[in-house]
Amino acid sequence: MTIHETARTDSITRPRYVCAIGAMYSAIAIPRVMPIAQCGPGCVDKQYAGLAYINGHQGAGYAGGASPPCVNTGEKEVVFGGNERLRDLIQATLKVMDADLFVVTTGCISDIVGDDVQSVVGEFQRRNVPIVYAETGGFKGNNFTGHETIVDAIIDQFLGDYDGEKEAGLVNVWTVLPYHNTFWRGDLAEIKRILEGIGLKVNILFGYRSGGVEEWKTVPKAQFNLVLHTWLGLSTAKHLEKKYGQPFLHVPVIPIGSIETTRFLREVAEFAGVDKAAAERFIEREEEEYYAYMDNFSDFYSEYFLGIPSLFAVVADSAYALAINKFLGNQLGLIPVKVIITEDPPEEHREAIKGEFRNIAPDISLEAEFIEDSYVIDQQIRALPRKPAMLLGSTWDNDLAKEINSGIVEVGYPVSREVILNRGYVGYRGTLSLIEALFTAVVRRIP
Amino acid sequence: MTKINIENTAVESREQRLGTIVSWYGKASELSEISQYSKGGGCGGGKGRRCTICEASGPFSQASGCTDAMAECQAGNIRDAVLIKHAPLGCSSFQVALNTIYRYGLAMRGHKIENVTVTSTNLREDDMVFGGIDKLRLTVEDVWDRYHPKAIFIGAACATAIIGDDIDSVAIEYGEKLGIPVIPMHCEGFRSKHWSTGFDASQHGILRSIVRKNPEKKQEDLVNVISLWGSDVFTPMLKNLNLRVNYVVDMASVEDLAQTSEAAATVAFCNTLGTYLSEGLEQHYGVPQVRATQPYGIKGTDEWIRALAKLTHREELAEEYIAREHARIEPIIDGLRKQLAGLSGFVATGSAYAHGMMCVLRELGITLKGSQVFHHDPIYDSEDPAQDTLAFLVDNYGDIEDFTVSVRQPYQFYTTLKKVKPDFITIRHNGLAPVASRLGIPSIPLGDEHQAIGYQGVINMGFIILAVMKRQRFHQDLAKHVKSPYSQWWTAQTDANILSKHPELIWDDVSDAGVSAVKRAPQPISEGTG
Repeated sequence: MTIHETARTDSITRPRYVCAIGAMYSAIAIPRVMPIAQCGPGCVDKQYAGLAYINGHQGAGYAGGASPPCVNTGEKEVVFGGNERLRDLIQATLKVMDADLFVVTTGCISDIVGDDVQSVVGEFQRRNVPIVYAETGGFKGNNFTGHETIVDAIIDQFLGDYDGEKEAGLVNVWTVLPYHNTFWRGDLAEIKRILEGIGLKVNILFGYRSGGVEEWKTVPKAQFNLVLHTWLGLSTAKHLEKKYGQPFLHVPVIPIGSIETTRFLREVAEFAGVDKAAAERFIEREEEEYYAYMDNFSDFYSEYFLGIPSLFAVVADSAYALAINKFLGNQLGLIPVKVIITEDPPEEHREAIKGEFRNIAPDISLEAEFIEDSYVIDQQIRALPRKPAMLLGSTWDNDLAKEINSGIVEVGYPVSREVILNRGYVGYRGTLSLIEALFTAVVRRIP
Repeated sequence: MTKINIENTAVESREQRLGTIVSWYGKASELSEISQYSKGGGCGGGKGRRCTICEASGPFSQASGCTDAMAECQAGNIRDAVLIKHAPLGCSSFQVALNTIYRYGLAMRGHKIENVTVTSTNLREDDMVFGGIDKLRLTVEDVWDRYHPKAIFIGAACATAIIGDDIDSVAIEYGEKLGIPVIPMHCEGFRSKHWSTGFDASQHGILRSIVRKNPEKKQEDLVNVISLWGSDVFTPMLKNLNLRVNYVVDMASVEDLAQTSEAAATVAFCNTLGTYLSEGLEQHYGVPQVRATQPYGIKGTDEWIRALAKLTHREELAEEYIAREHARIEPIIDGLRKQLAGLSGFVATGSAYAHGMMCVLRELGITLKGSQVFHHDPIYDSEDPAQDTLAFLVDNYGDIEDFTVSVRQPYQFYTTLKKVKPDFITIRHNGLAPVASRLGIPSIPLGDEHQAIGYQGVINMGFIILAVMKRQRFHQDLAKHVKSPYSQWWTAQTDANILSKHPELIWDDVSDAGVSAVKRAPQPISEGTG
């Protein structure tokens, strides 16, 4: 018996992102910044499990895991409100915990019953306690939009106004989503390295190479903002443009492969007005090393006589999906058969994202589909007339890959069958890791 | 004995049924004394559900865990049922971790390996205003079309409970339409201060809607084993008594759950997990539960085997098995005791499981000065003193000096560990092993909860401890190089419960620039125990 014929509703199985309060991991990703969670007892634990514990087995670091102070909202707070409990908790946190900045993140309960978090946090802000709040109730959005909410909260409530001098050559970088993108630590380190290589001073803002709150305090001084993502960070950059008069450069394609990375660096160098000759010297050194690796790799790529398959499909968030398609399609010469975007980007960015996928290479134009439900994703891949031999997807796609006899590389959330420390897939060095992962999966297809 | 009420769709929380607490400190013997309902103890002076234990509460708390997660790890892991989470998507953030567990459990039990089918109604802002019932209907239809399940569970969440979505009506509507059990679970996170109410919520639904009401036959050799996803140690064990195992709830089929009313007896790997279903099956379907302690340590296993044998009339087989196993394991355990001599441990797991684990460690000669259980049930649903696992521990294996009830709370754990200074900890649930690690202490995460069961469990634990102690060098080195997220003030505290005794302390010393003052103070380089 079939109850209804609707192929797609809004229900989701095997999710590929989490909810807005998961963006507490963006706070955790800034050294010595700590969330305080105004939410039910399970939210923090679930976000830890989903984002940091199992996803690449990254670990939650200093302020994550079970550490975040939390009101653990019970029936009493649901009925009478959670303001008093929150006030005590913040005060107690100042006594017990050690951080440079606290970010109060709210959950569904608080946002529905209407706790006045702003006024409670305001009391502490007036005492010059470094604390901000962000409304991140799970129904308000996902951890991508929650990330932007938290970033805005830090900018508006902690950094505040600035009309001083700008520092030439200083750039704020807004790129992959920490923790959700399993490879964010390696990627951010590489992006910082190559931007410094062309002579910029880089506020990378998240991860081990970030200077934490002291670095964030220099955000208003930056010469410009770089948004290196299909859409995430654009609203931040526009906000900063208004607030601090900073121009921004939007590069939707995160660079993978030498061609794209060099093109990216030249574009940034041009925009920033850095010393071109010095930038070119860095690029030359990097390319020399990169092509030394390619020289050897070409032995495999040209004569692996059990065959390197051409057809691939990508199921990932839009930024990684675009970056990977550009590299595999435009530089390696592989053939994309499908791309599915999984992070539910806001409606206003979708046309631009689609446009990018129509322009992968002169001979490659893709129609990106936005699907969040893994059951439907399975159906779409199964229905392809030409099945991919390589699936760049997530943990959720392993069974499907087996079913269609495809190799699999987990590049999109969640990545639970890899232990990831500093591996990244972007820039000159990350590309080498991606090639390793991709073609390891290819050679392992042989029984 | 308390009546297990299966008329209502909502389960009574543990606080209501059992007087469960999540915060307490003292000696194990003291807690045992005030929990001895059978003897009329209790600081409330009452018996049974009137027994109330005063809870330590303070102004500071860290993240706990919720009933919904525990309901999901049961109802979401039934092979031919589907769990719908009527919630925003974030409540499903646990799913990928649970999927790993599910696949592990399927492999351990020899079932076909597959992904979970748990499906979220994915509620958004508009749904909070207009209600999410239409989306729930669509989702029920989705999962029916996709999987044709034998049962559908509908789990409520904080958001849907507050906006008042009527999941009961949808369950009735589709139960009739589809001809399968469609089961509402009122497992929203804020309903109970302890996540174990989530076990009860899923088991309540199973008792109400899946268990066969009027079984035509009895299976006199079938034993319901209430467990999670651990490896299959019960089948070979019970084979010695010519008994077959019916694992519930995880990895079971709907038919496995239905036939629980035909079984000869019910046992559980842990009373925290099994108390509600065991008692419900006994009260409503006449399936007796084993009235004994749990199968941990030699003495506990002896008693448990004998009680099960008595219920199933297999006393002779039991005595043969017990004698055989004693002869087999005792020399091995003697050897292990020599190798483990001088080591001290610390148990931090769910309540009844912790009691069992401590029996195992003491059996191995491990020194145990402290422990942290995540909650405490003064009674279990049977109210039978034979199941009083804490009393069994204290009476047979002695007292535990620093016995803490604390619902995760790493800040307390941190202080307790520094005081007790164990060589290793055993752990379940995320978030505490990392605290120990940064203090130089290796952990034994008991994800496969069956490793410690029975006679072989004692041996298993001995070898696991010996192996994990080798990792001490990693953790001690780490402790020299990383800092825990606690202030200098908290780092200096020696009483993990100081803030429940003196909550006013939070207003002392923290100047308006208090955070940076604390931050700037030099931190000890090493917090190691060495």
